[in-house]
Amino acid sequence: MPVFKNAEDLNRVMFALWDAIKADKSMSSQLLRSKLTISFIYREPDSRLTLDCSDGEQLKVYIGETNFKPAVEMFMKSDLAHDFWLGKVNIPLALISGKISSKGPVNVALALLPVIKPAFKIYPAIYQSNIVEENG
Amino acid sequence: MDPFVFHTPTKITFGQGVAASACDAIQEIPGCRIVLITDKQLLKTDLVNYLIAQWQAQNHICVFSDVLSDAHLTGVNEAVRLAKNEKCNAIIALGGGSVIDTAKVVNIILTLGGEALDHQGMNNLTSRLLPSVAIPTTAGTGAEVSLVAMIKDDIEGKKLLFGSPFLAADQAFLDPELIVSLPAGLTAATGMDAVTHCIEALVVEGTSSPITDCLALDALNRLFKHLPEAKKDGRNLEARSQTLVASTMAGMAFSSCGVGIVHALSHAIGGQFATHHGMTNAVLLPYGMRFNLGFATKRYAEMARYLKVSDKENDSVAAQKLIDSIENLISDLGLPKNLRSLSVPELDGEKLQQLVALASSDPAMIFNTRQATEKDIVKIYEDAY
Ligand SMILES: NC(=O)c1ccc[n+]([C@@H]2O[C@H](COP(=O)([O-])OP(=O)(O)OC[C@H]3O[C@@H](n4cnc5c(N)ncnc54)[C@H](O)[C@@H]3O)[C@@H](O)[C@H]2O)c1
Ligand SMILES: [Fe+2]
Repeated sequence: MPVFKNAEDLNRVMFALWDAIKADKSMSSQLLRSKLTISFIYREPDSRLTLDCSDGEQLKVYIGETNFKPAVEMFMKSDLAHDFWLGKVNIPLALISGKISSKGPVNVALALLPVIKPAFKIYPAIYQSNIVEENG
Repeated sequence: MDPFVFHTPTKITFGQGVAASACDAIQEIPGCRIVLITDKQLLKTDLVNYLIAQWQAQNHICVFSDVLSDAHLTGVNEAVRLAKNEKCNAIIALGGGSVIDTAKVVNIILTLGGEALDHQGMNNLTSRLLPSVAIPTTAGTGAEVSLVAMIKDDIEGKKLLFGSPFLAADQAFLDPELIVSLPAGLTAATGMDAVTHCIEALVVEGTSSPITDCLALDALNRLFKHLPEAKKDGRNLEARSQTLVASTMAGMAFSSCGVGIVHALSHAIGGQFATHHGMTNAVLLPYGMRFNLGFATKRYAEMARYLKVSDKENDSVAAQKLIDSIENLISDLGLPKNLRSLSVPELDGEKLQQLVALASSDPAMIFNTRQATEKDIVKIYEDAY
């Protein structure tokens, strides 16, 4: 059974998570400094989430197709994304084994891993409140 | 035991003179037209000329030899143009890491279309590539079996990473006779690249396995024993064979588990100042090892005992002995010991910041056993200067 029943569940959780990251000055300021544009392309359920830090001022989050090509694209199963935010994924192994694949200068995205690590702590609560309670 | 993945798709043929039969490996393709990628230096050697003449007598082969050291994007694009004009459907790479990496990315574009930058990244290739053979002439990078290619983007001054199991050559021919013409300095430098692959593969975090450990440890032992001989007497075919096979084994190891901080720092320097990859690794290796020491003491100690540079001492003494013996090896090989000797200009201000940014975002860094801050990287560069 996938962790997310459908794309709406997945999108709601990821949107809420990125809202929280946006609100956290220390994480968002470092992300904005990178000026990165990155899409996460999820499978099972399928969805696409794009972050746009390109103007260095406002972190924008889009669900679905965008009218610009992101610098980096990361592809993974939605379940893996969930485990990632729980801090349970061995990223080097996931990259080597192909569980996560990427297009573009993946190094730019990997360098930001330490920046978003604090979000691992807030993810379980965000997941709970956007999935379990809604459904329960 | 922790979970792991080990992947090595290449058929390996070793022996004196085996390169001559490299074409047989892809000849069965109907209407086979081969693009042979090599470099100008190699075209000056008798053996390479003899081989090409032999192959051309029986096959349609066009030769591309404008590969520069460090595999530049321009070389990739020119080779693609030639191969497309000649309607080539198979690739032979005959050369060092620069040639083999160029051939890999040429193959991506010939098979999947588009430009190199469209395919940059990890595991995004969607299908097998054209049949390919790699014949290394250095020992070496292990690129003949590795699942990655690094290409230098001349404009940005950085290395682009391509990674996929489809990038491994279908067949690798390891022929020690081809390494005989490699000059002593490059023998030492390329050998130290292989040594660095072994040591970094043995201390990576979360991706190593009994298989990678076994390959890297045995390869390290062969390199320790035979690299000084290969450098001293380039015609010593046993020493050439041992170092060649060791570099391939090291390539199989790091392909499945990654490298570490030495490669990350070295890629940044090589991208900016066109230093030789193996030579730069040799300079940075003792510094990288000291940085990781507290996190890799046990592994270093195991290596020291395997290499018989330590016997009954405790782990921290044994680990220190490994670093000492690496420094001795670098001295014996007559390799430079600091970045200044590689003609790297004084590192300060904006240039240093740029290097630090490149090194800290290098993909090799995520495999390193100890997380390095920007301050740590500055310190290593300053110490190594
Ligand atoms: N794909 C991988 O897994 C991998 C791993 C490590 C390094 N690399 C890459 O490999 C490149 C370095 O490759 P390298 O160290 O093999 O050197 P190289 O291919 O750049 O060759 C260095 C010089 O040696 C000459 N040469 C090579 N073989 C010779 C021979 N037998 N006789 C005489 N001259 C010879 C070449 O003409 C060249 O001038 C770098 O671009 C590095 O990033 C790739
Ligand atoms: Fe290397």
